Amino acid sequence: MTCIVNVKGLTKSYKNQPVLKELNLQIEQGDVVGLLGKNGAGKSTLLKSLLNISDIDSGEISIFGEQYNQLSSKSKARIGYVPQENDEISWLSVKDLINFRKQFYAVWSDEKVTELIGRWEIDLTKKIAELSPGQVQRVLIILALAPMPELLIFDEPAASLDPAGRRDFLKEILALVSDENITVIFSTHITSDLERIANKVAVLDKGQICYFNDLDITKENVVQLTVHCQEEQHIAIPHLLRGKTFSKGQHGIVSQLDQAWLAQMQEQAIEVTVTPMGLEDIFLELTA
Amino acid sequence: MQQFVISPSSGIPIYKQLYSQIERMVLSGYFSVDQRLPSVRQVANDLDVNPMTVSKAYGLLEERGYLTRLRGKGMVVTARDNEVLQQEKLTMLDEMIKELLAQAKHMGISGNKVAQLINDNIANEQDETVGKE
Repeated sequence: MTCIVNVKGLTKSYKNQPVLKELNLQIEQGDVVGLLGKNGAGKSTLLKSLLNISDIDSGEISIFGEQYNQLSSKSKARIGYVPQENDEISWLSVKDLINFRKQFYAVWSDEKVTELIGRWEIDLTKKIAELSPGQVQRVLIILALAPMPELLIFDEPAASLDPAGRRDFLKEILALVSDENITVIFSTHITSDLERIANKVAVLDKGQICYFNDLDITKENVVQLTVHCQEEQHIAIPHLLRGKTFSKGQHGIVSQLDQAWLAQMQEQAIEVTVTPMGLEDIFLELTA
Repeated sequence: MQQFVISPSSGIPIYKQLYSQIERMVLSGYFSVDQRLPSVRQVANDLDVNPMTVSKAYGLLEERGYLTRLRGKGMVVTARDNEVLQQEKLTMLDEMIKELLAQAKHMGISGNKVAQLINDNIANEQDETVGKE
């Protein structure tokens, strides 16, 4: 597997307020990574750092095997980025903005632009400042997709889109990732979007990636246990996320279900119910 | 046409949801032998899920002998001995019964009582069939 993004020991603070602390992250080609984190966890800071938009204090970042702040223009053209806030020139019309951006790229798909402009019903003659937040976000997505990038970085791409718009955006991303060479990183608060399109999930908490794993494995591993023992007794449970022991009828969440332990419980005639959990609940537990 | 139903926010991974749905559809005869399943891309597009997820479900169904990959044709339902098929059906029912018994146990209902309930239901069903004749 080719490593597309490699972050080692990334540290960044704002006015002595640490945001990212010795953060590590490796993303391989073809991965669709959903980045979760509470408000203010530093998701945007992390994504901006990868793109050298935001300065870092220390650490190493490589993109396509090149040092992040010395990327060749060829590599830069292979990255598509949709920021959380619109930083495009707002007095230009959609049409002029598209033509302006096009000049910077060797590869640019007019076909893709025309298709998406039509499908998303965007008025080319309107100025960016005149568009609704949802329409601006769509324009930003079109600008990011037009150069046919191989690495896509989205910072809450669906935040201003209505449900139909979000679904259509997901479809577009899914069509792109049918090509297994395309790598996507996107931050989001909408866990159901992540569950549909991501194959990996990364959780940013307290300045570090506190959890990074395959999404399916995550759902299979992180489960809620209920112990039904007859009398009051404290039972030690391996991989428990919070606390150490369990007493009668209590719930607890484990980061991994220990099969040997489960067999041991069965031998002792202690019943354990295993309940799977959705990603939203898993995220809340991991960052509690 | 949307043939499969998934709930992305469930704790069961989407590929597993698809796997068990297709397994049931094959065992119940909804998909007949040699019938072609919709392509990975088609299913991914209908359900708005990652194609890798659909591939994973199809791959697992192929591994377990439900589907066969034909070159240029995609996935088709495997022709299998009735005996094997019967066994698969029984295995599936066995799992459902285990689940039922576990639920009953939580409610403090014995296995014998569950067996009695099942027998009562069978008796009722036979009565109804007789009544119709």
